[in-house]
Formats: sequence, structure tokens, C-alpha cells
Amino acid sequence: MPSDPKPRSAKIRLAIVGVFVVLAWLGMGYRLFHIQVLAAPDLAKQGLEQRLVERDLAPQRGKIFDRNGEILALTVDSQSLFAVPEQVVEPLWVAQQIGGLLGVDTDALYERLTTGKNFVYIKRQVDKATAQQVLDLEVPGVYAHPEPTRVYPAGATASHVTGFVDIDGVGREGLELVYNDALTGIPGKAVFERGLDGTPILQGISDIVPATPGVDLHTTIDLPLQYQAQNACMEAVETTGADSCWVVALHVETGEVLAMTGAPVFDPQTRRTLDPACDESEDPATCRAFRNFIVRGIYEPGSTQKLITVAAALEEKEVDIGTVIPDVADELELKPGACEDEDDDVYGCYRDFSNHDTMDMTVADIFAQSSNIGTIKIGEKLGQRRLVQYIEAFGLGTRTGVDYTAEAAGLLNFEAGCDICWASASIGYSVAATPLQMAAAYAAVGNDGMWISPHLVAAKADVDGETEVAAVTTRQVVSPTTARLMRDLLARAVDEGTGIQGSVENYRVGGKTGTANRLGDDGRYTDETRASFVGMAPISDPKVVVAVVIDNPSHEYRTGGLAAAPVFAQVMEQALHRLGVTPDNGG
Amino acid sequence: MTAVVNPQHRTDPRSIRVVRGKKARRPALGPWVIVAIIAITGFLGLGITQTSLDRAAFELAELEKAIAREEARNLDLNLEIARLESPARIAPLAEEMGLVLPDTTKELLVDLDQELPVFAEAERGESNQ
Repeated sequence: MPSDPKPRSAKIRLAIVGVFVVLAWLGMGYRLFHIQVLAAPDLAKQGLEQRLVERDLAPQRGKIFDRNGEILALTVDSQSLFAVPEQVVEPLWVAQQIGGLLGVDTDALYERLTTGKNFVYIKRQVDKATAQQVLDLEVPGVYAHPEPTRVYPAGATASHVTGFVDIDGVGREGLELVYNDALTGIPGKAVFERGLDGTPILQGISDIVPATPGVDLHTTIDLPLQYQAQNACMEAVETTGADSCWVVALHVETGEVLAMTGAPVFDPQTRRTLDPACDESEDPATCRAFRNFIVRGIYEPGSTQKLITVAAALEEKEVDIGTVIPDVADELELKPGACEDEDDDVYGCYRDFSNHDTMDMTVADIFAQSSNIGTIKIGEKLGQRRLVQYIEAFGLGTRTGVDYTAEAAGLLNFEAGCDICWASASIGYSVAATPLQMAAAYAAVGNDGMWISPHLVAAKADVDGETEVAAVTTRQVVSPTTARLMRDLLARAVDEGTGIQGSVENYRVGGKTGTANRLGDDGRYTDETRASFVGMAPISDPKVVVAVVIDNPSHEYRTGGLAAAPVFAQVMEQALHRLGVTPDNGG
Repeated sequence: MTAVVNPQHRTDPRSIRVVRGKKARRPALGPWVIVAIIAITGFLGLGITQTSLDRAAFELAELEKAIAREEARNLDLNLEIARLESPARIAPLAEEMGLVLPDTTKELLVDLDQELPVFAEAERGESNQ
């Protein structure tokens, strides 16, 4: 029996369904084609942009070394602790526990934890061990992220040289500032693909330009000598009751600064002075002030300036060391009535430190006994023009060019119409210099008349080990003959004169004391003094110059011979031992 | 539709003859098997290679992390050494132990031109007692 044919309507319905199915497949096909072919480049680009991350790679900051390779400053990893306040459940408990552990003020921390912000620092740059103790408490809302921190292993010893960086590792003072760009290095860049959880896709795009580490600085400082010098200064401040003490030691033949320090000391880690007399709650500005009088402070050098006056006169052959200067009194009045004026309103009265009869004195005696009147008479033979010429040639009134921040140039007061300034300048007044300038001037005498620019950094070394050596400038100031004569005079000043406390056993030392009255706020001289001593050793072939300035010692110690000379002797002795200088059997 | 046989076209069974044509063969499987094996091997090989590369990349990343850790540790150790060598730490400890800085320099001068004294055997023996 033949089967019944399908009804026509069924065929139509089947055809319609078939059409829809085909259309659906065609649609999907087109969509696939659109995604995989037409829109593929744009979509791939969008996906890549979502995955690609660009990060800066921080360079490792360069280290600072002393001349023996001891590290003075380096950067290490630390942890910075932070909190998400909204996640902190018990902010008071957290502030007490964690604040106590970290030495952070509990009240201040509590306030930060209750601010409602979504990120607050608890303490930055904490050492890893302490940070781990905090993290081990597993306090909700408390986290840590790594952060580099600058560390000064020598503590406050080298702070006057290195300076310090701020919390973000940017140099703010000293060598850290002068050489900040070189120490910082060049940041790198990393471009890589990351997944949803932030972890890098290892087989993905990765383009890394590594950071270039900063250069290392090799300074001229001798750390043990720096420590000894700082100790000597701290003891001197305590003994003499002075406001401060500053000392600098130079290598005569190279201009290298072997030590540069003072008291009160400054802690580069906490960025605060360590002066026990400083109360930060009362005077925060002073207690956080970084001072370096050696480079930035200017003072009237007093009798230490007489080296220049006498050297100039010898060089110009106005005198020799045996020349007799007649009628050297203990008082000289260059302007009528100056010495009778009790209020010091009329300038022009000069006196020797101690009373004596009017006598004939040789140049050598004048220098050894530090006679002001005798020195003025020598300066008179030079005249102002030549005196100024030699003062400038010895480096006073001009920056030495030392690689340090904010160096003072000093002052030369020879204003027009001042007809007695030459006399004042002859004996170290009307002139203001830095201790570094004075040390460099004396070093010129020690170096056969050749002035050398002092410097703190001997060389810079990059990551490849390539070094760049510091350049120095030199100039001949006086002849070697004059320099030798001055060294002999300096030796006599210590052997027979006011500098006897500056002597060093087994070495022949030459030096000059200086006692200059300080100017008061009213522009008049006060009874307060700046006591100084500048000298060199061994006098037969000087290797080291040391300059010491003690600011406002008590009356009992007001002179350079009493306050500064003993510090000089301590520092000079250690410097000669450190350099292994053969004794020339002086003392 | 069902075919209807025309009675006039019915075949005489005696005229039916068997026509021997080509044998009906199964489709050849061998090449396909080979292709499949090659494909699977290639796929597995790619997978293994990719896995190896990934593993190497992970190992490289781990090595780089380890290097970074050791470099950081090296810096920490350098810091520790510098702190231990600091004069500010050593000097007070030395002072506690009764050590002092040398305050004089002694020089020993040796005259290399001078003849050294020669001891007799007996003297040498006595000097060693």
C-alpha cells in the first residue's frame, strides 16, 4: 500500500525552521568572522592595553666611602608600615601596641587611624626585623611595603661631610646634595603583561630597560681621624664652655680634606643635632639645624692672619726675618684720641695682648710673640694694595671651590675712605674667612708656596668600575724660599711663643694662635672671643695642616693658645699617626 | 512514492545474470591513522614545548627573585660590617677594656750595612734557656 504523502503545511513549517537555523548559523558565523577577522586588531590592542603595565625601576643610590673604603652612607631595603583605617577594628589598641613597638607617638597614631582615609602611614622606613614583629601581630588593616632607606653606619661621625637625605632619599645637605644627581643614577622602565591578579605573565610581552645605579663616591676623609677630631672638639666644648668647636685637617700636598667635623654634632639618620643642651620642644629650628662652620662660617681670623702679612713682606723683600722693627710699643694710635675713647667710637687704637715696654723687635720675634703693633708696622711697609693682593692670593675673600654646598666666600673690608683698614687687616681684623680658607692658606706655606684647592671627593666610580678622579686647581702664592722661612717662624711660634700647647711629641710643629673678639649686635667688639689655632707638621716636610676654631669659650679659656691649641695637638698627632708620617724628633 | 512494476516489464528470471564488477572495498584507514598520529604527536609536542618554556620562565623568575634577595642580603651584611667597624662603636668598647690610643711613635732603625753578630753554638744554646 503506498504511504500517505506529508501534508503541505508540515513541509512549509520545516522549511521555515530550516531557514531560521541557517540564518542563526550564518549570524554566528558572521559574528565570529567579525570578531576574529575584522575587529581582531582593535580587540587585541584593547586586551594588550589592559594587560600591559609600565613601571619605573628605581635606581640604587650610590654609596659614599672614606679614603680607606669604609662605608659612610649606603641604601638598603626597609619596610614602610601603613594602615587602611577602615579595616582597623580597634584603633586604640593598635595605636598602643604598634606605636609602642615602633616608638611612634600613640596619640598621633590613633588620630591617623581614625581619620577615615583609606591609607595612612604608621612609620616609614623601619628595619625589616622590627617590621616583621609588627606584621607578626597580624593586625587587620596593617600592612607593609618595601622602601629603600639611606643608612649612615658611622652615625654622626661623618655627618658634616656626608650631609643627609630626606625621607624620599633626595640629598638635602653636604655631599648627598652636591652629588645628588650622580648618586641617584638613572631610573629604568619595565613594560610587561600582567594577569588579573597583578602577577606578571611570564611568557607575555616584557620590555625592561634596567636602571643605572648611581655612582659611588670615594671621599678623602679618614674615618678614624674624623672620629678622633670630633671627640676632641666635643671634649673642648665641654672643657672650655664654648658654644661650638670646628676642626678641619688637610693633606698639604694634595689638598685632600682628611677630616672636617665639629661639635655640636648632627645625626644624619634622625636629621637632628645631638647637642644635649638643645631642647627641641622649645627651639625645634635650632635643634634640627645642620651647621658646617668650616665651610660656611666666617670669622675674623685674628693673629692667624699674620702669616699672610709677614709672608707678603718677606716675598716683597720689604723685610727679612732678622729685620729689626724699632720702637714696637704695646699700643698704637693711628687716629688721634682713639686710645683715649672708652666707648670705642673712634677706631684706630691697636694694642698688644699683653703690656710691655717699647722695644726693638725682629720680625721673627714679632711673629713668635704675636705682636699686633709689630705686625702693623710690617704691614705699613707693604701698603694696602700689596697687602690686599696677597690676602686674595692666599685665598681669603674667595671661595676655595671645595665640593660642598653653600660655601662662604668671606669678606674683605677695604671700603673707600677707610684709612686704617690695612692696619686691621694686617692683624686679622677687617677680614673674615672660613676655617677652610685659613687651612688652605697655611697649606700653601707648607707646600712650598703652592696653593691647592681643597676637595672632599677623590674619585667617583660607576657601576662598571670606571672612575673619574677629582680635578684640583693650583697657584703659586709665594716662593719656596719665603714658604720655608715662614715655616721656621711658625715653628718658633710653637717652640717659644703663644702656640706652645700645640706641640706634638716627636714631631716639630709650626702654627699660629688667634684670638679675635666677636662683634656684638651693635657692631662693637665684645669680650667674647673666637679662639683659633692653625698649624702644620712635621715642619721639616709638612704633610698635614689642621685648623681649629672654638667659638665663645669661657673667659678662662678665651685665647687660641689655651682653647684651640690643645685640640690642634690631639688632632695633629692622630693625623700624623694615621698617615704613618715619620717623626722629625721635635716636641 | 512507491515504484509500481509494469507487468509487461517483468523480467524472466532465466535472463538474470550476475555482472561481476569491482569489489566493494572498505575505506583505507592507514594514511588517516598516520595523519592522526602525526597530528597528535605534534599537538603533544607543542604542549610539552610550551610547558617547558613556561617552566623555564618560572625558574628564571624565581632565580631573578633569588638574586634580588641575595643582593639585598649582601647590602644588609655590608651595612652590618660597616656598623661593626665604626670607630664610634669600637672606641668606647676599647676604652672599657683598658686600651688606649698610642700617644708616642717608636721608630726602630735598622742599619742594613752593619754586620750581624754571630753567636757560638754554646752561647746560642745558653741564650735559648
